[in-house]
Amino acid sequence: MRSACSVRRLFLLLAACIGVAACATPPEPPSDLLAPSAEQAALREMQTRSFDVSDKNQAMRGVIAALQDLGFIIERANEPLGLVTAARFAEPRDQDVVGVTVTVRPQGEDKMVIRANAIYNNEPITDPKVYQNFFATLERSLFVGRN
Amino acid sequence: MKRRRSGILRTTTRSSELRVPGSARLRARAAWALVALALATACARTPAEEFFQLAPESAAHRAAQTRTFETANETELLSASAAVLQDLGFQVVESVREVGFLRAAKERSAREYGQEIWRWVIFALSTAGLVGGSNTLLLLPVDLQQQINASLVARPLDSAGTRHEVRVLFYRIVWKSDGQSGDQTIAPGEQKMGMIRDPAIYQLFFSKLSKAVFLEAHKI
Repeated sequence: MRSACSVRRLFLLLAACIGVAACATPPEPPSDLLAPSAEQAALREMQTRSFDVSDKNQAMRGVIAALQDLGFIIERANEPLGLVTAARFAEPRDQDVVGVTVTVRPQGEDKMVIRANAIYNNEPITDPKVYQNFFATLERSLFVGRN
Repeated sequence: MKRRRSGILRTTTRSSELRVPGSARLRARAAWALVALALATACARTPAEEFFQLAPESAAHRAAQTRTFETANETELLSASAAVLQDLGFQVVESVREVGFLRAAKERSAREYGQEIWRWVIFALSTAGLVGGSNTLLLLPVDLQQQINASLVARPLDSAGTRHEVRVLFYRIVWKSDGQSGDQTIAPGEQKMGMIRDPAIYQLFFSKLSKAVFLEAHKI
């Protein structure tokens, strides 16, 4: 009998605590929520490459051709912004999707900076080999078409 | 106050009591956890780096999906491609002239007689208890609806722009119907994606495009 009473009291105390906590204001997000971290800087390094191409349109077409060769479906392209978005189904498991957003921006007079953000099922890919492979294919596509 | 002592006589030695009796259960649990972990890593997905490497079949796919045209007029080629897609029942969803890009989609029923027949056969066999145990009803989900998409890119083949190539990719998303497995219902709407690799569809597209621009479509 005594132990049942104390259990109920404990339960009421717990419920009261939860109630108070629910009415409390949510914690403020940390002020450096959007600040770049060391991992993001390393990821940016991996994802960016500079190419000796002076024409943005030619660079974009090279990117699109490389993505098509890799079996990607081109979803969106925006020439003034230098933006290409593509995705592919990760065969054999067709529920997995590999997506990539590529931006092409001029750097100086005769170079283009190309950055590729790859994601696997909505999570960013952080393996440097992935980006090395992509840029190797892109390089072939850019300079084979130049004749 | 006198403490009540236990009536059991101590017969085991001190050292054997050091091993806690529940640890055997704990060790078994740990062993199962390790097995589960091993299985989980064994079912790991394909590493992403393979998707960014040219596969051996990419050259064959490229050949099936691409045709070249002896024309300098890329805009006309793109416009004719849009017209051919329209003719095939597609709605053009996206178009970017500067990079020669078109994307189109169409929806259609995906029901196939073969699948429906097979579904009823399995259902009949399962009610008779011949498939899947004596008390389980099996209703296989069939394909219901599909969305066929086309992603097309036209680009110049040389710096003078006298020859252009058109590369098109058809792929589809299929939604499946509901089903049943024993007393567990399978909800409808499961999606299945797949590239369309049938060469006849690509040949049809390029023959129509060739007629639309009055030019011959050369294979690469």
